[in-house]
Amino acid sequence: MTELVKRQLELLNAREYRKLRHPPELDPDTVVQQWDKHTLEGEAARFAYACTCEKEAVFHGEDLFGFNRYCSGALPNKGRFGNVVIDYETVLAKGLCGILDDINARRATADEEAQCYYDAVETCYKACFGLVEMYKKAATVQGNTRLAQALAQVPRHGARSYYEALVMLRFLSYVLRINRCVHLPLGRFDLYMRPYYERSVAEGMTESEGLELTELFFIAMNFDSDLYIGIQKGDNGQSLVLGGCDREGNEVFGPLSEICLQASEELVLIDPKVNLRVNKSTPLPLYERGTRLTKQGLGFPQYSNDDIAIPFLISLGYDPADARNYAMAACWEFISSGNGADTPNKTTMLFPLVVERVTREALPTAKTFEEFLEAVGVALDRECDRLMEECNKHPATTPVPLLSSFISPTIEQGRDITRGGGKYHNYGLHGAGISTAADALAAIREGVFERKDFTARELLAALDADFVGYEDMRKTLLSYPKMGNNDDRADLLGCFLMDRYASYLNGKPNHIGGVFRAGTGSAMTYITSAAKIGATADGRRAGTPFASSYSPSPDARLKGPLSNIQSFTKFDLTRICNGGPFTIEIHDTVFRNDEGERKVAQLIKAYIDLGGHQIQINAINRDRLLDAQAHPENYPNLIVRVWGWSGYFTELDTVYQNHIIKRMEFTV
Amino acid sequence: MTGRIFSIEEFATFDGPGIRMTVFFKGCPLRCSWCHNPESQQMGVEYVRSPNGCLGCGRCLQAAKTAEDGTKHLTAASVEACPRFLVRRCGEDYSTDALCDRILANASILTSTGGGVTFSGGEPLLQAAFLFSCLEVLRGRVHTAIQTCGYADAETFAGVLERCDYVLYDLKLMSPDQHREFCHADNAKILQNYRTLAASGKPFVTRVPLIPGVTDTVENLTAMAAFVREQGVDYVELLPYNRMAGSKYAGLLRPFAPGFDENRPVELHTGIFEKYGIRAKKM
Repeated sequence: MTELVKRQLELLNAREYRKLRHPPELDPDTVVQQWDKHTLEGEAARFAYACTCEKEAVFHGEDLFGFNRYCSGALPNKGRFGNVVIDYETVLAKGLCGILDDINARRATADEEAQCYYDAVETCYKACFGLVEMYKKAATVQGNTRLAQALAQVPRHGARSYYEALVMLRFLSYVLRINRCVHLPLGRFDLYMRPYYERSVAEGMTESEGLELTELFFIAMNFDSDLYIGIQKGDNGQSLVLGGCDREGNEVFGPLSEICLQASEELVLIDPKVNLRVNKSTPLPLYERGTRLTKQGLGFPQYSNDDIAIPFLISLGYDPADARNYAMAACWEFISSGNGADTPNKTTMLFPLVVERVTREALPTAKTFEEFLEAVGVALDRECDRLMEECNKHPATTPVPLLSSFISPTIEQGRDITRGGGKYHNYGLHGAGISTAADALAAIREGVFERKDFTARELLAALDADFVGYEDMRKTLLSYPKMGNNDDRADLLGCFLMDRYASYLNGKPNHIGGVFRAGTGSAMTYITSAAKIGATADGRRAGTPFASSYSPSPDARLKGPLSNIQSFTKFDLTRICNGGPFTIEIHDTVFRNDEGERKVAQLIKAYIDLGGHQIQINAINRDRLLDAQAHPENYPNLIVRVWGWSGYFTELDTVYQNHIIKRMEFTV
Repeated sequence: MTGRIFSIEEFATFDGPGIRMTVFFKGCPLRCSWCHNPESQQMGVEYVRSPNGCLGCGRCLQAAKTAEDGTKHLTAASVEACPRFLVRRCGEDYSTDALCDRILANASILTSTGGGVTFSGGEPLLQAAFLFSCLEVLRGRVHTAIQTCGYADAETFAGVLERCDYVLYDLKLMSPDQHREFCHADNAKILQNYRTLAASGKPFVTRVPLIPGVTDTVENLTAMAAFVREQGVDYVELLPYNRMAGSKYAGLLRPFAPGFDENRPVELHTGIFEKYGIRAKKM
């Protein structure tokens, strides 16, 4: 790490610069009222207004990039599109003027809607150029000639060097977030940046200069990440993908990927959140490389398995080249890079809710477990119907011309991505609480039908009472087979639920020309929706959390990681790959030497080789987390993985903190 | 045949090559004052409380019993009493088949990482017949290792060498007096079995716990290096004392009185080994 990087990192971690921000802008929706909220020109005008609120260029320390927020106040995602990967390749090569040239070439033959779209894009770009001018002037005044020179080229024209390309990325992130399109990931950084990196290397940039630039860029991505939040701080969607194959199937991982990993390892910051694409042939050393980041406590890399994700995407109609070119959305949703207008997190199938309902309605009269299970299956179908109808009622309505213009082929189409622009328009559903639901079914089979430890009515009475007065029954329920212990009695019920859900949902058409996709993610619902669901037959108390995404229930006592990874690879995950990782916690003492590191890497590789789709690992020291709860002032930079992103532990709501602590409870 | 096991770990990272399952046998002939698995020492079933998440409500203590010697012990009733399920029974009897099935369920992953199963303890050789029966079932199906303090009859030790693939062998104190003082047993058998092991051609690793002021002295490590070298060994692993070691005693309602200053930093003294041409790696 160079002295310059050290100084910038110190400045960032001290967080003092945040105090210099100015009062937040007024909500553009209320200020700019002369257009309907859902028109292209209205949206462009709102963006132009938001740009005027950024009154001055802001540089932090010896900033090489600029494009930091002038205004304070977090920017919520007000229903605007996110979770898409923009076509960095094209934007970096053409620049905004290149896109305007494309627009002008199509004006003559464009229909009315296309003209409207093009007008809106032009309005947005004009506002962008105003900001660029402001930064260029300020950089010149401050003697920051490097940035001033770069801004004479980008973003108007294509980037010519690694540095210019990085400046372009900063610019894109800044303007899109001002436009309230949050949860915009960086996509396949080592793929689309490679030509610029190589060009700079050919022109004399050394590897250490490349590393320094990358580190400064990563730091710059963190300056305002507290303003771009989802449900919790840290949930800002600034993810980045490394490795995997390109559109033709060639391996991407190379020197630039290596530099990104090194930068992450040295900086220990929550952004960008690294995703590593792997497959059955990925050699162990790459996993070991990734594990060194995990050891830092970053909660990433998250690993995604090409062998599972690509066939899933192809099965849903993605072109094989696009499927191979997938990237992650904000957390873990598998989406096509550069041309997708998918909404991969449209809604959530809450498995425990369905099982709980059927338990009440059908269990008392069911003569056999099979009869009961079939009732669960039918209820899942109906719930899929209900969820799909719900999704179809609420397509994205607020247009996003600025964002759309960076997605292909919307310029050729002349359509905003909320109006049919882009190549894919699929809806993804999360699938939350799979393990809780499977455990509940296993408990019903064991307790009511096989061992007959109690009757259906007794069980329902206990659930109604939230186990108060039924503590013994709860202990019995908790002692039954649990998903995660490589026990078919629970695992195959999990498979049943996933099979039913995926078979019914996958490929069903939505109302915007796309299809539905089934996934295993929970997003925040493992806390927020679980809070509203009553006691479940696995012994879970009312309102308490499920597992995050695709993992054993927090109430399950587990045999260990080997049984665990076998349980969670029994189902053919190529059928349920909207996204949603298997998550394991490993005590940080395991990482105390290179041998422990290698074995963690072997465990991750084993999960991938068994057909796992996605895995994230938390290196945790429970005592440290408890101490951080008691003395947050001592741990401003303690990082943990939450449901699909890394955040600062002390900035999380207590309920999320406690969930992570609880997952460590059964380890002695 | 059955054996008494107090824990099975599925992702043991410091008990031999590759990813390993470690099966902890209950019962040990030694009583090392620094033992970090106090629940491993006695053959009898015990109940132990995990501190993580303990509310301090005291219900487990109300269900505890007092032994003839005046010591308090948690009981099966303590397991029932704990509202957070943090008291667990320590000591389960497994049949050879049940234990081997449990291991073999993970065999393909273990094997793919160059790992296997390690029988540890406690002292696995204290339940030699059961250990042998397991090793025979597992032979050729998964890599087997034993982690031993070496305190066993020559015949038993020869028996295990015939049946397992790998040995992790602990050497603690070279002085018989000190060994008796801190481990409550003589070390003659241990040194003799070590000679047998080194001569056997069986792959093994020597592990030395570094206990501050006890085993990490220049005197002890010099004697050990000379002894190890004499047997033709050129590599040892050093395991520095971890101050967390005493944490489990409270869970057994036992006092932790290690008899040395826990806070004194461990002396690594790798130079002593190097002088004898032995590579010493800190674990």
